[in-house]
Amino acid sequence: MPNLLVSGDDRAALLERYRATPSGREKPSRYFKYDLEALAIDAAAAERAGGSVSFEQVPSRAIVCDLQTARRDHGELVARVFRRALEEQHKYAWLTLAYGGLGAFIYVPADCAIDDPIVVRYAGDAGASLFPHTLVLAERGARATVIERLELGAGGFACGVTEIVTGDGAAVTYAAAQFAPDDARAFSTRVARPGRNARVTWATAELGAALALADVAVTIEEPGIEAAIASLFFPTGTQHADVVSTVDHRTGDAVSETIVKTAASGAGQARFLGNIRIAAHAQHSNASLRDDSLLLSKRAHVDSVPALEIAANDVKAFHGATVGALDEDALFYMTSRGITRTEAERMIALGFFEPVIEHFPTEALRDELRATLERKVGDA
Amino acid sequence: MSDQGLRIAGLRCSVEGKEILKGIDLVVEPGKVHALMGPNGSGKSTLAFSLTGHPKYDVTGGTATLDGESLLDLAADKRARAGLFLSFQYPAAIPGVKVPNFLFAARQAVRPGELTPAKFRALLLEKMDVLGMDPSFLGRYLNDGFSGGEKKRLEMLQMAVLAPKYAILDETDSGLDVDALKDVGESVKALRASDEGKNTGFLIITHYPRILQHVTPDVVHVMMDGRIVKTGDADLAHRIEREGYDKIREEVGAVA
Repeated sequence: MPNLLVSGDDRAALLERYRATPSGREKPSRYFKYDLEALAIDAAAAERAGGSVSFEQVPSRAIVCDLQTARRDHGELVARVFRRALEEQHKYAWLTLAYGGLGAFIYVPADCAIDDPIVVRYAGDAGASLFPHTLVLAERGARATVIERLELGAGGFACGVTEIVTGDGAAVTYAAAQFAPDDARAFSTRVARPGRNARVTWATAELGAALALADVAVTIEEPGIEAAIASLFFPTGTQHADVVSTVDHRTGDAVSETIVKTAASGAGQARFLGNIRIAAHAQHSNASLRDDSLLLSKRAHVDSVPALEIAANDVKAFHGATVGALDEDALFYMTSRGITRTEAERMIALGFFEPVIEHFPTEALRDELRATLERKVGDA
Repeated sequence: MSDQGLRIAGLRCSVEGKEILKGIDLVVEPGKVHALMGPNGSGKSTLAFSLTGHPKYDVTGGTATLDGESLLDLAADKRARAGLFLSFQYPAAIPGVKVPNFLFAARQAVRPGELTPAKFRALLLEKMDVLGMDPSFLGRYLNDGFSGGEKKRLEMLQMAVLAPKYAILDETDSGLDVDALKDVGESVKALRASDEGKNTGFLIITHYPRILQHVTPDVVHVMMDGRIVKTGDADLAHRIEREGYDKIREEVGAVA
């Protein structure tokens, strides 16, 4: 057991909250193996709690350290972000809090622009359970990019939380690409609460793990915010990916863009629930939700459920979705240029993800995503 | 008899069970420009798709050969590698596939191993310059968000880069303004003037004779109701321009 930040009594209370909170996912249909309500994260998983955090490209002008150090040395700063973005309904976050200990704290001072992405790396041995809690606090006018790497061992389990809180006019991009082993399980809850006129981008990819659960959200409580959620996932074989995005426009005069690309092959299963909420007084909100699904085998299944709740009357809200196999007209067009059907399928399937890949920082990370996607397309 | 040419004999084609082509005979010789004219719905585009191998177009009879090689048994990619090219009326948009990557893959497929990527890029820029295309095209996804004119220019760029033995232009002139129309004409001329394209045969499918002001056809065919009802020289196109199709319809008694 690592040094948990919570006492036994607190842990019992947090676990009770975890059990009492619904997952926000519908009951499984005939397509889904997992009943997420019944999914027991047993005590044994908790007993294997462990893992380590390390950092790369730590800028001198920022504070970048593990969570325990941050709580000891920068308690007041930590308090401004710890559990400030999370909300009651984030079921899996309660689990992270219950076994809290592992984590990272990134603090970017006012008007400080950090060009190179800060890399946060969580690593665990085979069979280990990780409950990492990443906190990003960007002050007024600060600019930073964070790349989270999760290196799970075989049969590993991760249930992580990321919270971003920013000051006015800050800009934060947070990228997380999950390439966990095929027998691992990877859960994540990511919530941002930007300041006025701030920009926040989530770029997430779920490519590994037998079961990937991801909640990604932006809560808009100040005007002038530009929020983006770009997410891709691609269950192959018997993988299951379940992603919920939420943009909550609680104040008007803000812009959000959600773009999601899902492919599934083999007996892969994916579910996407895209929430856009615009409160009654959040006039002049501008929200778009674009989700496209690509089915690469007959046994694969994708459920894509947009949920737009718009209570204001003077807003722009766009939703567009497609579900289908590879487009025959596109395939014919490419083959009519001499490209083989197999190569055309590969190019179209890889191209399908590009609009999301573009949101990831660094060419190296984008190429890593492309290489993984290419391998998964090849296995299809 | 030489087997050179794009030789179509007795071609019949059905789409979803309905016969559209009712026996087409047509020979496009290397280096020649043929125009195929006709009213909407006469089967011109069906001829283009059946020759290039679209799976929805069911060829029920006849033959089509390209310099002696039978096309009809080949998949679409092999027809392209044999030297056939179709400029689409409505090319598909393919998000995520960048224009130069697509063009390089196509060039490598049609003319394998001739060009390094660097030489290919130089060729591409040169051909784009001829077509008056902005280099920003290279950063865009294939036909994604393209205007009608941009799509047609990209089709012409592909024709220039692939330098096919036979090029079918399906209504490439439709919906274009005067400048874009001129550019299409110029790109046909440029291909004919190049080493790679000096023997390219063209089948220019068009409803209106406008494009033929820029490219003078050697032969003009008129198609109605799935058949070629009249064949002549460039004057036939001028006649259609003056009189429309009704007069010809009366002459040949077609029911289209």
